[in-house]
Parts: sequence; structure tokens; C-alpha cells
Amino acid sequence: MDLISNLAFGFSVAVTPMNIFLCLIGALVGTLIGVLPGIGPLATIAMLLPITFGLPPVGALIMLAGIYYGAQYGGSTTSILINIPGESSAVVTTLDGHQMAKQGRAGPALAIAAIGSFIAGTIATVLVAALGVPLTALALKFGPAEYFSLMVLGLVFAVVLAKGSVFKAVAMVLLGLMLSCVGSDIETGQSRLSFDLPELADGIGFVTVAMGMFGFAEIMRNLEQDASRDIVESKITGLMPTMKDFKDSIGAIGRGTALGSLLGILPGGGSVIAAFAAYTFEKKISKNPEKFGRGAIEGVAAPESANNAASQTSFIPLLTLGIPPNAVMALMVGAMTIHGIVPGPQVMTKQPELFWGLIASMWIGNLMLVVINLPLVGVWVSLLRVPYRLLFPAILIFCAIGVYSINNAPADAIMVATFGFIGYWLVKCDFEPAPLLLGFVLGPLMEENLRRAMLIARGDPTTFLTRPISGVLLGIAAILIIIALLPMIRKKRDEVFVEEGV
Amino acid sequence: MSEGQGGARAPAQRHVIRSPKDFWGGLSLVLVAAFALWASSDLPGMRGFAFGPGTAPRLFAYSLMALGFGVMLVGLLTDGPPLEKFTFSGTFGGAALVISLIPIYYFASRIGKWVPGVPPDIVVAAIGASVVVVLAFLLTNVAPRGPLFITAATIIFAISVRPLGLVISSYVALVIAANATKEVRWLESMIWCAVLTAFCSLLFPYGLNLPLQLWPRF
Repeated sequence: MDLISNLAFGFSVAVTPMNIFLCLIGALVGTLIGVLPGIGPLATIAMLLPITFGLPPVGALIMLAGIYYGAQYGGSTTSILINIPGESSAVVTTLDGHQMAKQGRAGPALAIAAIGSFIAGTIATVLVAALGVPLTALALKFGPAEYFSLMVLGLVFAVVLAKGSVFKAVAMVLLGLMLSCVGSDIETGQSRLSFDLPELADGIGFVTVAMGMFGFAEIMRNLEQDASRDIVESKITGLMPTMKDFKDSIGAIGRGTALGSLLGILPGGGSVIAAFAAYTFEKKISKNPEKFGRGAIEGVAAPESANNAASQTSFIPLLTLGIPPNAVMALMVGAMTIHGIVPGPQVMTKQPELFWGLIASMWIGNLMLVVINLPLVGVWVSLLRVPYRLLFPAILIFCAIGVYSINNAPADAIMVATFGFIGYWLVKCDFEPAPLLLGFVLGPLMEENLRRAMLIARGDPTTFLTRPISGVLLGIAAILIIIALLPMIRKKRDEVFVEEGV
Repeated sequence: MSEGQGGARAPAQRHVIRSPKDFWGGLSLVLVAAFALWASSDLPGMRGFAFGPGTAPRLFAYSLMALGFGVMLVGLLTDGPPLEKFTFSGTFGGAALVISLIPIYYFASRIGKWVPGVPPDIVVAAIGASVVVVLAFLLTNVAPRGPLFITAATIIFAISVRPLGLVISSYVALVIAANATKEVRWLESMIWCAVLTAFCSLLFPYGLNLPLQLWPRF
């Protein structure tokens, strides 16, 4: 079978000592930032992008991917032990996980989170491998119009699934698209919106925006909160869950994996939404939903499996279509571009070692993570005692040196600082920066495909609707927007009615 | 923010701006879009059915402006949570520091000659860094320390890393950054910053083989 021989080829790439080592580093860093609240995978990958410059491309991507799914493992540890999500996708795990810890069952909670994640990771790895070939074949049929429509759909998904106002999310996408215009025009080379500053002539760096909006803005806001963290000293006794725990959670793991895999593939999805959806679903179908929130093991198993599955399947659209479905994958585009790889269907044919090696490494990474997380849990917990006042200068200086070293350009570091307080302002006004980043990455691709499609159609904009694949994609996007707006209209109406009734 | 209390003389409950986060956020987007429209006004637009360099930026800017107005309108018509602490002071504090660099950037060649015998780029870096640090400490009266000192530290690193090298610039930047929290402990942070500087000076140039200069060039 092709799948098996492809995977075997992938493993032969992934088990070279160098790649195993990089996978381990990725998994370790991922766990570390997953455990520490206040630093997410997005900020970390943004910070580490420049560092991967000196690595071979396969190794670089293996390491960065490890950080993403490693963070899903690490996040659960903090959620369970101290009731603070170490990572945003582990928010729901606090509900039942910490209750279990309070009842003295921290060990089984940690174990089931890791085991669930591992099972989900294994299934998701196979899924990525299996879907890769057919989706790549489909992607080769895409012309500029289809690509443009697909990106519109991706952005619409991001908007619909972002929390808060739909208008604000669309505005963020547009701001990202506009920022991506800065620099030279792709066709004529004319400089746009750059005010004749040589520092802006090449456009704004992707790392600059990501690091500023996520890394720096996050530090600025974290510093305003009370820095003290209370670690609930709960003794972890007996890691192994009982037979009953396994029986209770195996179904939840399966459903969480399925839901997570699906939400990971969809553009705009990702591990946070997957975890929420899996928890809600599990609670809905449970025979005794009152157990949830009081230490139900399903409430740990389902979201933890889901977020790990989603973090892996979100690589599918990136690797096959070249479209990043969420902000972390947008960073992966950045990583690939740094190494001169254009994400898209040609990755699989031109760089099979990258495609299959990355997939195989995911499984190896998951295996490592079980070991890193279960026996070593005490090490990670002790890390939580490092106060933030020591942590943030380290993050800051790594960012500053990292971004400076990409082009040896001091202006880049000043731009990071600028995007830092811009991100601070946006978050304070309840704007989500993630859609902005997605818009920023997709901007040049979208503009290019839009211009090409319009040229091919001799200036006729209906080409996007009359070409079948493109039309279907835009149709789905339109339906999604309508669905997203409907409940908002209804809710707003209700509010008006309430006010008038008073 | 004074406009926010525009209706203060009327019975206090109803402000003109009912959801300030939406209103001010929307307004900022409108301003950014207007700025982008102005900046892209000299770019050629459509040529027949081919896009010109200015088409896409203007398309995005007009849409952003429309949505910005939309979000502002939401802020006027629906009730929302009040602004969070430091929304304005934090943002403008950081902005003020970056803006203070503009005159230094434009007059760099003149400032460089101020101290004879010292290489001009070192003079510019030292004066720029002092301006930013003094300004940051002055602004602590009105703005939160986080955005101020994070921005200040990054700027200082950026302007001094070339003339002064990695070791000095990152140590100074770290010490400034440590001020971003009120619980700064001087001895502890001096030592910790030295440890971090040593770590970075080994990791980036040697561990990762990045072409970074460690010491000032004279």
C-alpha cells in the first residue's frame, strides 16, 4: 500500500539522529511553554522562527510542529494542578481536571490527558497521511480563481469562529490585508505605502507582526495582572488510572479525536475551539451531565484528545493546499518561506521528505511527549515557581535578538515594539489579533490570485461564481457569514425588546 | 476620553458612547484606513481590466474604513463594557517612545558630531537611548510601566546593537526591561540580567551561528 510505504519513507527521514533531536527539543520547548501560563505556542513559534534559519528545512519544521502539539500536552498539566490554563486550549480542562486534583486524583487526570492526547495524536497522524494524497490531487486542479475563493473561505471561517463580534473580526482581516500591501507591488515593483523609507521597502516582516502582536502585547498585558501564582500543593500519588477510568474515558477520547480532527482541518478552527466543542458535546451526550464540573474524567479526556488531534490535522490544509487554517499555521508558512519552500500541493511532489518526514515525526513526538509529561511531571511543576519578573526579560531579549538577526535590521526590532503597543490597543478594545495575522499572511497570495484571475477572465468578476469549484467555495462562505450573523441579529433584537418592555 | 463623558451634564446614566471599546476601536481603524488612503493616493489604479499597484491597497482601505464606521456605530447604538484600565495611556505611552525616535532618525548625521573623538553612531545610540529612558521614567506618572519599559528596552536594543555590540546592548535593554514591573528588585535583576546576557552571547553567535557582533568596534 502506498500509505504504508510513504509512512515508512517518512519514518526513515524522521529517525535520523538530527531530526529526533530537533523533535525532542520541539516537544520539550512546547511542554515548557504549555506549562507556563502567559506564553502560548503562537508567541513562542514567532520567537523561534529566526532561530530555525540555520537548520535544514525538514528539521526546522519538525521542531516547530513539536512546539505546537507539545504545548497541548503541557497546557493540561497547569490546568489540572493549579486551575490556571497553561495554554488557551486547555481552558476547559480546568473545569474537571482541577476538581479531580482536589479529590486527590491528580495522577489519573494527568495520565488520562496524556494517554488521550497520544491516542488522538496517533489517529491524527494517520489521518494527515491518508488525506494528503487525495487533497493534493484536488489542489492541482485549482486555478487562480479557485485559490482566491478558497482563501476567502478560510478567512470567513476564521471570522465566524473568532470569539466576539463578526464585524471586528472582519475588520482585523482587512487590517491584516492592508498591512500586507506595504512594500513593493508584486507585478510592477512600485513601492507602496512605504513613505520612501528604505526600512519599509521590502514590506513588513511576518515575524515582526506576529512577535509584536502576540509576544510583546501579551507581556505588556501580563505585567498588569497580579504576578503571584498560587500552586495548590496537591501530592501526585499513583499515576495510573483505574480500569473504570479507562472504560469511562475511552469513548470520550474517540469522540474528542473525531471532533478535534474535523475542526482542525477546517480553516479558522484550531485546538481551542476543538477543546470547547468536545467538552460541550461530551456533556450533552452524557447520561449524567451533572457529573461534569465535579471531576468527571470524560471532561478531561475529551478536550485534551480534541486539542491534540486538531493541532495536528490543521497541518493538512497547509501541506496540501498551501493555505494556513489558523494563526499558528500562518507562522508555519513563515517558517517555510524563510527556507524558500512555497507551501502548496507541490510540497508533496517536490519535497516528499519534508512532507512525510514531518508527518512521521508527529507520531514520534507524541510518543516522546507521553514520556516527557508523565514521569517528569514534577520537573514541570517546579518550573511554575519561577516568578514572572524573571521570565519576561528573558522572553523580551530572545525576541529582540531573534527579530534583529533575521535581516540584521535594527528597524525590525523597533517595528516589533510598535506592533506590540498596537496589539495592546487592539486587545484592550476587544479585537482579536489572530484574524489579522491570517489576513496578513494570505494578503499577498490573495492579491496575486485575484489579479491573475481577473486578467484571465478579462476583467469579468463573475468568473469567481461561474467556475464551479470557486462558486461552491464562495457559496459556502456566504452561507457561513449569514449563519454567523443570524443569531447576532436575533440576540440584538431580543435586547431591544427587553429594553422596550421595561 | 473627555468626549466619552460628553453627555455628563445630562442625567449621568446615558453616555453618548454606549460601548466605548467598540467606538474607540472603530475610530482607530477609520483613522488608519484614512491614513492608508492618503498614503496610497499617488499610486496608479486600474488600467483597463488589469489591477494597478494602488488598486488592492485602496480596496482594502475603503472596506476597512466602512467597517470601522460600522464598529463605531455599534459603539453608539449598543451598550458594552467600559474601557479597561490603561487602554489609552498604555498605548500612547508606547507610541510616544517610538515617536521620540523620529527627530533622532532625521538629524542623526548632525547629532553624531556632537561629541568629538567618539564614533558618530555610538553618540547617536547613546543620546537616543538616554532620551528614551528619561522619557519612559517621566511617563511612569501617567502610563503603566509594562508598555513603557517593554517598548523602551526594545528600542534601546535596536539602536545600540550595531554600534555597541550584543553584550552591552542586551544588558542595558534587560536592565531597562526589568523596570516594567513595580516589584523590581535591583540586586536580583542586575545578576539575572547578567546571566541572561551571558547566555544570549553564547547561544546566538556560537550556538546558532548567527553573525552578531559581541563588542563595540572602535
